[in-house]
Amino acid sequence: MSSAAAEINRSDRWERAVPVYGFPVVNGFFIGLSVLVLVALILTAYRELAGLGPVSGMNDAYGWGIWKTFNVMVLTALGSGAFAVGIAAWVFRRKKLHALMRMALLTSFLAYACGLLLLGIDAGRPWNFYWIVFPWKWNMHSPLAEVAICMSIYAMIPLAVENIPPVLERLWYFDSRLRPGVETIEKRLHYFFPWIIAAAYLLPGMHQSSLGALMLLAGERVHPLWQSPLLPVLYLGAATFMSFGCVAGTTMLCCLVWKRGMDMDVLDEAARITAWLIFVWLGLRLLDIMIRGALGTAFHFDRFAGVFWLEVLLIAIGGVLLWRSLRTHDKQSMFVGYVLSSAGGMIYRFSPTTLAFRPNPEALYFPATVEILVSLGFISLGVVGFLVAVKRFAILPAPLQEWHDMASYFRFRRPYIRWTGYFKYGFFGEDETEGGEYRVSGD
Amino acid sequence: MAITRRELITGIAKAGVPAAVAVTVGTETLKAETIPVPSAAVGLLYDATICIGCKACVAACAEANDTPPDTRGDALHQAPSDLNDLTRNVIKLYKPEDGSAFSFVKRQCMHCLDPACAAGCPFQALHKDPESGVVNWTAEKCIGCRYCTITCPYHIPRFQWAGFNPRVTKCELCSHRLEKGLKPGCTSVCPTGAVIFGPRPVLLLEAKRRIQNSPGRYYQDRVYGELDNGGTQALYLSHVPFEKLGLPELGPESVPAKTLRWQRRFYQYFALPALLYAGLVQVIRKSLAGHEHELHEREKETGLRAQI
Repeated sequence: MSSAAAEINRSDRWERAVPVYGFPVVNGFFIGLSVLVLVALILTAYRELAGLGPVSGMNDAYGWGIWKTFNVMVLTALGSGAFAVGIAAWVFRRKKLHALMRMALLTSFLAYACGLLLLGIDAGRPWNFYWIVFPWKWNMHSPLAEVAICMSIYAMIPLAVENIPPVLERLWYFDSRLRPGVETIEKRLHYFFPWIIAAAYLLPGMHQSSLGALMLLAGERVHPLWQSPLLPVLYLGAATFMSFGCVAGTTMLCCLVWKRGMDMDVLDEAARITAWLIFVWLGLRLLDIMIRGALGTAFHFDRFAGVFWLEVLLIAIGGVLLWRSLRTHDKQSMFVGYVLSSAGGMIYRFSPTTLAFRPNPEALYFPATVEILVSLGFISLGVVGFLVAVKRFAILPAPLQEWHDMASYFRFRRPYIRWTGYFKYGFFGEDETEGGEYRVSGD
Repeated sequence: MAITRRELITGIAKAGVPAAVAVTVGTETLKAETIPVPSAAVGLLYDATICIGCKACVAACAEANDTPPDTRGDALHQAPSDLNDLTRNVIKLYKPEDGSAFSFVKRQCMHCLDPACAAGCPFQALHKDPESGVVNWTAEKCIGCRYCTITCPYHIPRFQWAGFNPRVTKCELCSHRLEKGLKPGCTSVCPTGAVIFGPRPVLLLEAKRRIQNSPGRYYQDRVYGELDNGGTQALYLSHVPFEKLGLPELGPESVPAKTLRWQRRFYQYFALPALLYAGLVQVIRKSLAGHEHELHEREKETGLRAQI
């Protein structure tokens, strides 16, 4: 019994990342997203000419709209997987999580890249960004300078470099003539990896907390349930469990959509860490509110209390579902747990700048249609990038079976693939390269 | 015998721990926390009890700063309801419904001694002049992030929402007129002397003299801006509570000093981040070596190329 269970477990083990072949890149969903991206790009051109007023609901009281408060503040928290999962895997040596690293790096890169693009569009005078190359012109103590500078450097250097291996790997498999060159580049890259990976943890740690520090300067205009000296810590903490949810949840969803086996060893490990992060974070959040004496405002009958309880309940229920799924091995409750806790975290990250920001009693902000369309368009850009990357590069973890399936698929659909040496070994371990000999793997 | 690179790095890191902690925790007072008053600080003194609400200062401000009159209200009169992209100075009316004392209030930049807008401004587009203490805006450095509109506790800087080349509008105490030896536009036309211009210490003395001469006339017998928010260069006297005039009670500590204390300490000389970085590199070098070894073992087992 136990050996059979172990066997089943083994066939589900995520052995390596495998591209999602057998599913076309361009389908109805993809075209719909592309249309959204196109609309957003056209509207962006209009925004650059007309200014921010005509296209957005921003006003003198609410100087920041959803482009900053949602696409940057919220979505980069979801995209902190490279930071949170990476620290767990590389610094705390949770080795099982290495299976999720490529997903984490890709989602992070896309979330940051799309956020930064929109940040440039949201800025009223983006041509002055060139000051970023003169460090002596920075205002070193400004949280916003910290965010702007650190985020751009992070996305353009460590995060981009960490995403290079899947690209190199594709080149390696693409044509056997490229292999020596690719291997040289890989060797050089690996030499710099410790410094790059360390930067990839230090920088997001700095800017994700500084995102919270942004609203410290707003003082009492942020509702007391959110305004706290601990905002930087809580923002960073929310980013960690949200990004675990994003990485593991997205991976589960992909496995479901593209019919791949799920390695419950890895997913359990991720769920355990996420549940702990959630409970510690919730404890810190409630403790902070009680120590500051703001707990009373949570029982006022107003929208702030409503948002607060929605957020706390979503995160708590998500945490409990994740914890329970560890015992029941119920994939559904695990997935729902990730979704709920991440949604709660999104509300938390969205609140201080928007839902709980009260510049004056009369002020109102609701995003304009164009604003929402552009925001959606840049989210779609990230999803489009994700779909292309997952289907063309080895990102999504899979059981070994998947690799062999892909090999048979290609032998059938594109017989010439053997010229490239893409699949050295066939399903039965035969060496498919020219002049190769029959070989059973493991011999 | 010779020191290896690893020993060197760990040695430096070990020595760095106490140094960085000392820098972070031991930095008791930073520049902005002990706020210096600029040597030649000039400012405004506005006395709400004398103001008759004629709005001559509003028109004079627009003229002095060469901005078109804001007639968007009724397409005829220059009557902005609040500060906006064409209005650096505005007269507002506080009139309680119960019929008790009403008051006009002149709103313009307070020119804080420790301005929150400048503390948040990423590339120092908002900058406090070290001599006159005027908080100026530089178009060439502004990226249009609108953080100043969020951070200013008095809600003064306003962003121009229309057009491809937006500007931030705020009172700059008519710096261009000061250079020519002229007074700011608003103070040069005030018929009752409700707003006067001068060096900050002189204005402070004058305000205290007025309080002394007519006790009970002024709210709390206090000058708003002497200590509030770390001190401001625009000073206010009023017979109604300052909060009703849009001047919140912020306490004697400035907003940046209050809220960014730990942020400032953490990034002081970049000591703590640098130390963290050195530690992370060490840990990751070890993890990477172990991980690569495992991958290559697995590669031998499966015959499939290792993925890092």
